[in-house]
Amino acid sequence: MLDEAFAILKQYDWGSDMAPLAPIEDAVALSHDQAELRRDLENRLVATLQSDASRDAKDYVCRKLAIVGTVASVPALEALLRDKDHSHMARFALERMPTREAAQALREAAVKVNNELKVGVLGSLGSRRDAAAIPVLKGLLTDSDPSVARAAALALGSIGGVEAANVLKEAAMSATGNKPVIIDALLACAEALLAGQKQTEALAIYRSLAIDDQTRLVRLAATRGILACTSLQS
Amino acid sequence: MLRRAVFGWLILGSLVLLPSATSIAADMNDEFLQLVVKLIGDSDREFRAAGLDHVRTPAGGTEGTKLFAGRLPELDSEGQTALVGALADRGDSAARPAIIALLSSSTDESVRAATISALGKLGKPADLTLLVTYLSSKSGAEQAAARATLTQMQGETINKALAAELPSVSDAIKPALIEVLSARRAGNELPAFLAASVDENAQVRSAAMAALGQLGDADQLAAMIPGILKAQQGGERDAAERSVALVCLRIDNEDQRGAKLIQALNAVDLDKRDQLLSLVGRVGGKKLIDFVGQIATGSDAERRKLGIDALSKWPDASTADKLLEIVNSTNDSAERSQAFQGYVKIAATRDQRNDRQRLDRMKQAMQAAKSNEEQLLVINRCRTAYDVETLRFVLPYVDEASFDQAACETIVELAHHREIRDPNKAEFGKALDKVIAVSKNPEAIERANRYKRGETWERKAKSAN
Repeated sequence: MLDEAFAILKQYDWGSDMAPLAPIEDAVALSHDQAELRRDLENRLVATLQSDASRDAKDYVCRKLAIVGTVASVPALEALLRDKDHSHMARFALERMPTREAAQALREAAVKVNNELKVGVLGSLGSRRDAAAIPVLKGLLTDSDPSVARAAALALGSIGGVEAANVLKEAAMSATGNKPVIIDALLACAEALLAGQKQTEALAIYRSLAIDDQTRLVRLAATRGILACTSLQS
Repeated sequence: MLRRAVFGWLILGSLVLLPSATSIAADMNDEFLQLVVKLIGDSDREFRAAGLDHVRTPAGGTEGTKLFAGRLPELDSEGQTALVGALADRGDSAARPAIIALLSSSTDESVRAATISALGKLGKPADLTLLVTYLSSKSGAEQAAARATLTQMQGETINKALAAELPSVSDAIKPALIEVLSARRAGNELPAFLAASVDENAQVRSAAMAALGQLGDADQLAAMIPGILKAQQGGERDAAERSVALVCLRIDNEDQRGAKLIQALNAVDLDKRDQLLSLVGRVGGKKLIDFVGQIATGSDAERRKLGIDALSKWPDASTADKLLEIVNSTNDSAERSQAFQGYVKIAATRDQRNDRQRLDRMKQAMQAAKSNEEQLLVINRCRTAYDVETLRFVLPYVDEASFDQAACETIVELAHHREIRDPNKAEFGKALDKVIAVSKNPEAIERANRYKRGETWERKAKSAN
């Protein structure tokens, strides 16, 4: 049954009937607490990924690897990060896999892939809230490609925390074109700090932004932030 | 020994650190209060809103409330209105003195209305006298705010305190104050309403009777009667009677309801009692039919007239037999005519009876009719019995010159009802052909043609004149 399903999967495209793939869907669910079955399933999925299967078939495989994938899947997915047809779905899987290797693969890709694909990879690092990616992202804040610099700033904002905030603060002082994005990311950091009960750190960011040099909307957001931080002490 | 020394250092360390943490908190609190105070007066509405959002929360405590309220005199009208609303939402009565001061000093109507509204949440019973005076304010906004505030104010003593104001306030305020008490469902203050129900001022009386109608029960019935007698004929009297009828209808048992009302009426002087017969008609019930029936067939002609009038105003057809009995038994032609008209009116009422029962009453009326006018009246009122049998009853009159036009009108009205016209299409078709041939009314002919074609007809709205 599963053999037949994988054979059909190779030629799969999204317009065709999904019923023949039901054994794969069932195996994903059934293998939840059966390590052997899951390993076999992952091997089959990786093999499909490395074959000449259709684009839609590899797309399908990435979706399943996001659920069942382990460190064993990382190399095959990493290889796809540089492929413009498959990079997005490879990130989809790597972004959700809770292994260090998956994060490492994304960090390495962040400096290797072309700028068009890099924007997505940076977004995935942000989504993973990968603090280890901060040095890489810091370097990219001044990238000559504005979309890369912008993606790096947003990723830092998503990662949050004091370290990311410090990088953004420093960048904000010298930034020109992408300053609004950096400020936006900084506000996101402050918000995350406040939500994590770190009022003092959040307050420092808000205070630095509630100044006349900033735009009205930034001052308004920062003022609301200061009120939120200080009212907790009242 | 070493452990004790370490423990001692830890205690000492925490004592040194503790004031530091406290002072940070105090600094933050101070920063918060100062920032809110600054934002309250900001010219940018969004910044001001950011400050007001925090005025609405308890943050800053009573110290904060006083600080925020202290800014009221410095703000423009828009800012004052917004801050007063936010302070009301905050719910800390520490803002009350500043709000009362603003109420007396502001010349802006919207600010005063906002302060009046705020007192609904922050005020005390001591503010009632002040708030009550705004019930007669020339400003509609202030009046509405005072009314809403007095209605919303919470506390067990509020109703009593408001009722205590009633005797001393001006006539301009009394009706509104009674309405406020009624809206507050102040059921313990009914004696105050009863006293006001015989006030010299018609508006006060009307408000009091309406309140009694909402809150009163059988115990107030007798005491409400003077309110009806004091009311002027017309709208006020009608409304007063409706209020008493409302109270009567709260007595579930029909016999008890009748007995209570009769008991209340018997307490009234005989010469005034007859004025209340129309009230009896509004309440209805078998016991009351007997009571009014005795008057309608009694020895006093003037009282008989009033009695027949009351029977004719009954809310349902339960007085029909009594009226028909008078029609058939009286020797006074005027009285007979009055009873006949009352009977036809009552018989045609669309109450709980079915259409066949209504038609049967009309047939009885036709038998009792003694003149063309009376027959015309019956033919006309047959239109309320939506039944094909009614068509069969009325149709022969189309051939009689004295009744043909009235019969045509009634047939057209019956045909208007699709639910009887459609199942009897052929029969109605022939009758409508007759109407088209006989009627002199162009509208009736047009309607007859439309109904024959299966079309509908929209009744024109009555002219305002």
